[in-house]
Amino acid sequence: MFVRSDDKITSGQASLFLTNTVLGAGILTLPRSVTESAKTPDSWMSVLLGGLIVMLVIFVMVKLSQQFPGKTVYQYSKGIIGKFPGGFLSSLLIIYFIIIAGFEIRVLAEITMFFLLEGTPVWAIVIPFIWVGAYLVFGGINSIARVYQIIFPISLFILILCYILSIRVFDINHLRPVLSEGLMPVIKGLKSTVLVYTGCEVVMTITAFMQHPQHAVKSMLAGIGIPMVLYLLTVIVVVGGLSIDSVTTSTWPTIDLVRSFEISGFFFERFEFPLLVIWMMQMFCNFCSFFFNASLGISQVFKLKIVPVIFGLMPLIFISTMVPKRMNDVFAVGDAIGRMGIILFILLPVLLSVVLIIRKKGLKQNV
Amino acid sequence: MCKRHPLLVLLAVTLLITQSGCWSSKEIEDLSLYTGVALDTGELSSTEQTLVDEGGDYFKNNKLTATLQIVPKKSAGGASKSSNSVNKPQYINVSETGDSVLEIFRQFSVRLDRPIIGHHLKVIVISTKLVEQQKIEQLMDFMLRDNDIRPSCVVFLSTGRASDTFTLKDKDDIPSFHLREMVRNRFRSSKVMKPVNLSTLDARMHSKQSFVLQNIIEAKGDIELSGAGIIKGETGKWIGSLDQDDMRSMNWIKGDVNGGTIKTYNNKHETITYEIKSAKSKITSKITEDNKVSFHVNIESDGRLIENWDPEQRSTKIGSLKEREKIFEERLSIMLNHLMQQMQSTYKVEVAGFGERLSIEHPKVWKKLKDHWDDTFSKVPVTFSIKFTITDYGSFNE
Repeated sequence: MFVRSDDKITSGQASLFLTNTVLGAGILTLPRSVTESAKTPDSWMSVLLGGLIVMLVIFVMVKLSQQFPGKTVYQYSKGIIGKFPGGFLSSLLIIYFIIIAGFEIRVLAEITMFFLLEGTPVWAIVIPFIWVGAYLVFGGINSIARVYQIIFPISLFILILCYILSIRVFDINHLRPVLSEGLMPVIKGLKSTVLVYTGCEVVMTITAFMQHPQHAVKSMLAGIGIPMVLYLLTVIVVVGGLSIDSVTTSTWPTIDLVRSFEISGFFFERFEFPLLVIWMMQMFCNFCSFFFNASLGISQVFKLKIVPVIFGLMPLIFISTMVPKRMNDVFAVGDAIGRMGIILFILLPVLLSVVLIIRKKGLKQNV
Repeated sequence: MCKRHPLLVLLAVTLLITQSGCWSSKEIEDLSLYTGVALDTGELSSTEQTLVDEGGDYFKNNKLTATLQIVPKKSAGGASKSSNSVNKPQYINVSETGDSVLEIFRQFSVRLDRPIIGHHLKVIVISTKLVEQQKIEQLMDFMLRDNDIRPSCVVFLSTGRASDTFTLKDKDDIPSFHLREMVRNRFRSSKVMKPVNLSTLDARMHSKQSFVLQNIIEAKGDIELSGAGIIKGETGKWIGSLDQDDMRSMNWIKGDVNGGTIKTYNNKHETITYEIKSAKSKITSKITEDNKVSFHVNIESDGRLIENWDPEQRSTKIGSLKEREKIFEERLSIMLNHLMQQMQSTYKVEVAGFGERLSIEHPKVWKKLKDHWDDTFSKVPVTFSIKFTITDYGSFNE
């Protein structure tokens, strides 16, 4: 077998790793959440603006990580602010990753139970996913990246195909008027676009695995650029196809868009099933990224071997999946993740960078 | 491999057991697929009445009757396609009365052997009488929530009893498919409305603006798309119907004309007919300084002189073509004025897309007016300019 002992990934693989970490369940609810808070058809601008802000965030994270080649955030945070504070911040990040991993699987299970496998118990969907995910995570970052390389083109193809076919219900008037109430709605919409970009924190670990860390800025910006373009496309196509009135009343607007037309005389008549099945793989990628990062974090912070950590995390993720009882709880977890993402950004890259600059420039210390 | 990772092998075996096969699979032969739902005011059918007399009653109010069209009547397995199947319909219609759509649907489980499933629902027909009594939001709530019913199914109104549209003279034809296919004839007639599917309906209901749905009428086992029923936005209830000519005028204003004809009489009262090749329309809104709204609709169309009953006026010179263009333009303008009359005086609603246009061109004004748009519109001046061009006269050049 082609096992690479050095555990390094190419720049392209790193981009895809980031893309597949960010691009997940968010795409199915994004049009509703952003339109609900923006209340005008300008919600697509919020997605664009949010993406640009996240690019800035990622730039900060990459620049910080590049100061410590070959080291992940779990390792260098100790070096910058000391063993215990660093360990504490890393633990927060780990908890965050575990919560998102659970959330992704829960959303996946909810959709599967509602649209595909009515009657299958939730654990029968969740547990196999965690097992298969664990199997992939055992293989390390290289295997994960290669699985992503296989899955991403397929899911991209199906997604774009669905959007192209949905042109028959697209009406440009649904996206008008543009900026009827000024920029305020766009800014209000920003707070719900944050959630769809969560997970970009993995930049601080994958930079350490890159073969050429000097290319990290370029490849990470490309990695976030792909989901940004796809999110933008999603909001335009879904709002244009359904109009904001219908989008705000729909629990899963992107699926409803695909459900609102039939293509007779084609191989498939209805496209929500191919989309859901393929998008499940995408959510699996998502989950594996967070699973991997959480287990890597625990093993590096607490100096443990990774294999027992992975096994130990499996029940923990299962619990975090099953905690929300109602659909409202699931969406509340989603919003909470968005807020945690912002707090973590202030705590980790910003705080660490500031301390690092003070120590290097101000105190002339060698970190 | 096996010796090194017994745990992994165990994992793989467990996965194999859980992953093969489908947990909640149901054989399609064991399901009743319904392709049409008709909603009527609650009236017990004779079968139901007898069932009630026999003691088959439960806690409910008879507010609505739902009729399902189940296709195929018997699953393909075993039943041979013999000649006697020609005279028997390929579907069955079953009705049940109650006051919750899902409860009614579940009630079929105690009447039918195979459970019903809505994955292939194509059309929903609602009787206007029912929408007079109940809000359309109430009737459609379940359809929008359900996971089987796709938002792609088309919604119609019927001024008669909705369940009657589910019985056709031709027994081989499945009425719900027939209805579904009829809306494709838009390229031949401007009397056919752009189909309104569940997701469009959802948007219309949520926006609280008045809208129209295609109306169906039935006579002796034949059905016809005839005009449109108006649903008032504020109340969500049916208030009246537009006839076939109003339907055409509405399509002209919205620019939804894909084909069809305009027939009128020339100065000698002989028939002349114009076949529409292309039609364009543009609504522009104007706001005067004292915040008064007015609209102008510009309609342009290319077409062909396709029928002429007047043997004396056969000239195809530019001059006489232009004269006929004028006659056709006048005819359309009469039709449009009739629709405006209906909208502004008779029903006091706006369903022809003026509001949408205003919201795009003057969003700030629209925001102030949208809550009482129907009333505002009844006093808004609307002007039309119509330009027809007869580009050719078929293969009969005289």
